Amino acid sequence: MIASPKLSRRVDLAYRIVQVCLLLSLVWKYEFFYQSIQVYGYITIDDVFFPRILRSDSVLVGSFAAVVISSLLCILIRNRVVRNLGSFVSLFGLTVLCLHQGSYNDATFTTGWWTSLWSWWFVSRMNCDDAEVLLRKGAFLARCMISMILLAGAVGKWTPEYWSGEVLHDIYFVDRNFWTFNWLRDRYDAEALREIATTYSRFIIITETIFGLTLWMLPARIAAILAIILLTSIALFSNFLLFSVLLSLIGLAAVGLFAKT
Amino acid sequence: MPNFLRLIACPSGRASAGKRGVMPTRLNEVLKNDIGFIAILFSVAAIATWLLLMPIVPAIANATMHRFHLRSGSFMRFAAQFPIPAMYNFANRTEVNDVPPGFVDSFFGSLDVDDSFRYINHFPARDATFSVGRYVNLRDGRDRWFTLESDYRGQQLRTQLHLKNRGERDFVLLRQPES
Repeated sequence: MIASPKLSRRVDLAYRIVQVCLLLSLVWKYEFFYQSIQVYGYITIDDVFFPRILRSDSVLVGSFAAVVISSLLCILIRNRVVRNLGSFVSLFGLTVLCLHQGSYNDATFTTGWWTSLWSWWFVSRMNCDDAEVLLRKGAFLARCMISMILLAGAVGKWTPEYWSGEVLHDIYFVDRNFWTFNWLRDRYDAEALREIATTYSRFIIITETIFGLTLWMLPARIAAILAIILLTSIALFSNFLLFSVLLSLIGLAAVGLFAKT
Repeated sequence: MPNFLRLIACPSGRASAGKRGVMPTRLNEVLKNDIGFIAILFSVAAIATWLLLMPIVPAIANATMHRFHLRSGSFMRFAAQFPIPAMYNFANRTEVNDVPPGFVDSFFGSLDVDDSFRYINHFPARDATFSVGRYVNLRDGRDRWFTLESDYRGQQLRTQLHLKNRGERDFVLLRQPES
């Protein structure tokens, strides 16, 4: 089915926004990654749990570079073959990063992996689906992924230590150097901070649960706007470094803005 | 029909012309022509089901805790779980010591390491393996003992890791026998 040029441009723009957000999410913590690699060269850990190839610093650097370069090429070059290959390289590189000893725990690569998976599928359908169909399916798939990721955050917190605020109090309120928590520490004593931490923690659990269970069912544009507001506010009020985790999801959410409901 | 089903079933917007039998036909078209879409949707649904079962099926929480402690039965079991997001999951704590657990250290001066039992958002083993944690805890090239603890709705997993220095900040990670 041949799409109108205007619709094709919307498909292309939606795809590029996702790629730009994925790229930004990776370079957001570039300095942190650079320093991490230096640490890994300075202090080596031999852990037979990980296959040798997934302990190699070269593999870590190569995978990261491959994802950055391929995302950049997918943004700059409007060619289906390049984008197909680029999306596959991104997906493969992020799979390695999700399993490597030096990066397995970093949620940046988990959200990036889902974004790459979406991108690979989206590119594969560009010449098959009507543009409007593709945007609707793309938006639906994107918000299903975001729902599932938020649900994962919620379920893991359905535990007394989070409900009481104990965990987030220790992680954020005690000594985290970030504007929200510095501001609160300047104004409230320890007892009040503990109570605020409880409210904060419960608010997060309830919000993640509601969004995780319902976001995927909402109309595309409403879901997109709500998801972008939620994801942005998480980073703005908790930790700017979280933009590396959330930017790729913000890109995915933005696809909904292009879909007609 | 719920909005989200209509988006899959009648994607073109022109499908409204046919009132009867539209949904199965369109759904079949999607199923037939876009295996990738269905496969991803199935994966997302499978993970969501896994997550929703976690509070009531102890084996799922247990598998996730073992994943967090790098103690899955095999690397393949660990790898199979990587697409499952795990941000800020469970009550995880780590303690780092410069003497083995249970060792009376009153005669030894404490090194400059974080020896308090602090909460950590996820993957507590990262205090030994990842970036800042690796640098802070292992930079002086001395042996370290890490105690990892994860709690979830009455379940607990405790793991002890020994980071043994082989020289020039070249460590080997040894898992202490399960208690």
